[in-house]
Amino acid sequence: MNKQIAGYINEHLDEILERWTIKMEDEKDDRFFQIMSEKVIDNTVREFGELVVFSLTESEEVYRVKLNDFSVKIVRYGWSVTFVLKALTNFTHVLYDKMNEDGYLNEQNIISYTEIMTNWITPLTHSIVEAYSNVWDRTVHLQKMALQELSASLIPMFDKISVMPLVGTIDTERAKLIMENLLHGVVKHRAEVVLLDITGVPVVDTMVAHHIIQAADAVRLVGAKCMLVGIRPEIAQTIVALGINLNDFTTTSTMQRGVEKALALTNRAIVEVKDK
Amino acid sequence: MNIDSVDIVTEWDIVAARQLGRNEAKKVGFGTVDQARITTAISELARNIYLYTGKGNIAIKEVTEGNLKGLLVIASDEGPGIADVRRALEDGFTTSGGLGAGLPGVKRLMDDFKIETVVGEGTKISATKWLR
Amino acid sequence: MKMRIPILKLKDCLIVSIQWELDDQTAISFQEDLLEKLHTTSARGVVIDLTPIDFIDSFIAKVLGDVINMSGLMGAKVVITGIQPAVAITLIELGIRLENVSTALDLENGLEKLERELEG
Ligand SMILES: Nc1ncnc2c1ncn2[C@@H]1O[C@H](COP(=O)(O)OP(=O)(O)OP(=O)(O)O)[C@@H](O)[C@H]1O
Ligand SMILES: [Mg+2]
Repeated sequence: MNKQIAGYINEHLDEILERWTIKMEDEKDDRFFQIMSEKVIDNTVREFGELVVFSLTESEEVYRVKLNDFSVKIVRYGWSVTFVLKALTNFTHVLYDKMNEDGYLNEQNIISYTEIMTNWITPLTHSIVEAYSNVWDRTVHLQKMALQELSASLIPMFDKISVMPLVGTIDTERAKLIMENLLHGVVKHRAEVVLLDITGVPVVDTMVAHHIIQAADAVRLVGAKCMLVGIRPEIAQTIVALGINLNDFTTTSTMQRGVEKALALTNRAIVEVKDK
Repeated sequence: MNIDSVDIVTEWDIVAARQLGRNEAKKVGFGTVDQARITTAISELARNIYLYTGKGNIAIKEVTEGNLKGLLVIASDEGPGIADVRRALEDGFTTSGGLGAGLPGVKRLMDDFKIETVVGEGTKISATKWLR
Repeated sequence: MKMRIPILKLKDCLIVSIQWELDDQTAISFQEDLLEKLHTTSARGVVIDLTPIDFIDSFIAKVLGDVINMSGLMGAKVVITGIQPAVAITLIELGIRLENVSTALDLENGLEKLERELEG
């Protein structure tokens, strides 16, 4: 009966998928149907259907390859695990309804149908979720690395002045990396003043402030001065509300003011050149 | 598994312990910052043994857990023990006119940190740094 | 075995370049030697260069802090130079901020800084 079901699905694939798509569109909370083009949705849905059929008809090996390809795709498209599980449940429901309507199911074969479905769907669910989470882990890991590389380099600006723009959320792990790159950069570029730009840091809580203070302290120990620039109004408010003391720090709201101060600290200034 | 250890009796043994630690840290593959963290932690633990107990030992071994590699430092002594561990771990607490930075510092410098101590019998401090 | 850290005189400043790992005894005798030299030369400034040092624990940090305070009492300014990134990070994690310590990237910068501070 295995083959029979597979044959049946293959034969009626278009209709099953169509019904299934309609059902999935009702899951309004998922972004997938809202942001993807019709064509992408169509292809993904078809691929999902094929994958389900493959799991019944093809060898383990062929199925694995397809499963992995598919997982990579849906992670990229941003399917959530919940959504994937719903997709599977809905698929079995649609299949059942359709087979029932077409008179394929009767009292004699309903038991073996259920058995096959259970034996089929459970491992299928497992393999999809596992593949999904593997791909997800990989993606997260890559993003994390990309973020780390992206967000912690010290850029020489003028002689003796460097700037480090911080982008994104700062956790303990990243704070350590930032501190290391900051200090090695200061020594390498022989910076006397570094501007730590927090314009791109969404939240400054006590933890983040603590890390910033520590970084500035360490910068002082290696022999340079650390200035904090890019303090937005809401950040200034949280800093004061949390009772964080940044008094020992030179802080400015804009990069421009920061640069002016940094130049002043190194006994220089930007002047306009008169026309000859 | 690699085990190496130094008995701490004189001040010079503190230097020997941290040299051993620095070498082991290099061997495991730690970068300069982690090498400094490990060396400093060993120095703190060894000096505490020298200052507060007659004699003790610093053992250093490479450890693995799953895919993680790390360096475990065990400082053990048969000294007076620490009566109030909570206070000893507070920044600034000292009975010797030091900075009181040693024990809380070691806890921050390393990833895992454990104190077992019995008053009158001695102290065993285990601290691990994991390679990332 | 006892090592002494050389203390050089340049104009009215003393230059101390610590070249190897400090053991406790050397650190203590360095403290004594420096104060003695300040007294005999009446130097007004000191640069302590720590470039080759790869770690500083709480004991050495205390000796350094004490040296700076004692020198201050004797009327001399101290600038510490060449603290390596790894050393700065471990000091901060130990909870040692060396708050009122003047620092510079290297010996040259340190001497410049000292000159400026002594003039100003
Ligand atoms: N192995 C030990 N046995 C008994 N008491 C100890 C031991 N280690 C630490 N202590 C006690 O705990 C206190 C805190 O130790 P900690 O290393 O944090 O600071 P400290 O040694 O006093 O100063 P610092 O380490 O900053 O020079 C010590 O003053 C001492 O009383
Ligand atoms: Mg101590």
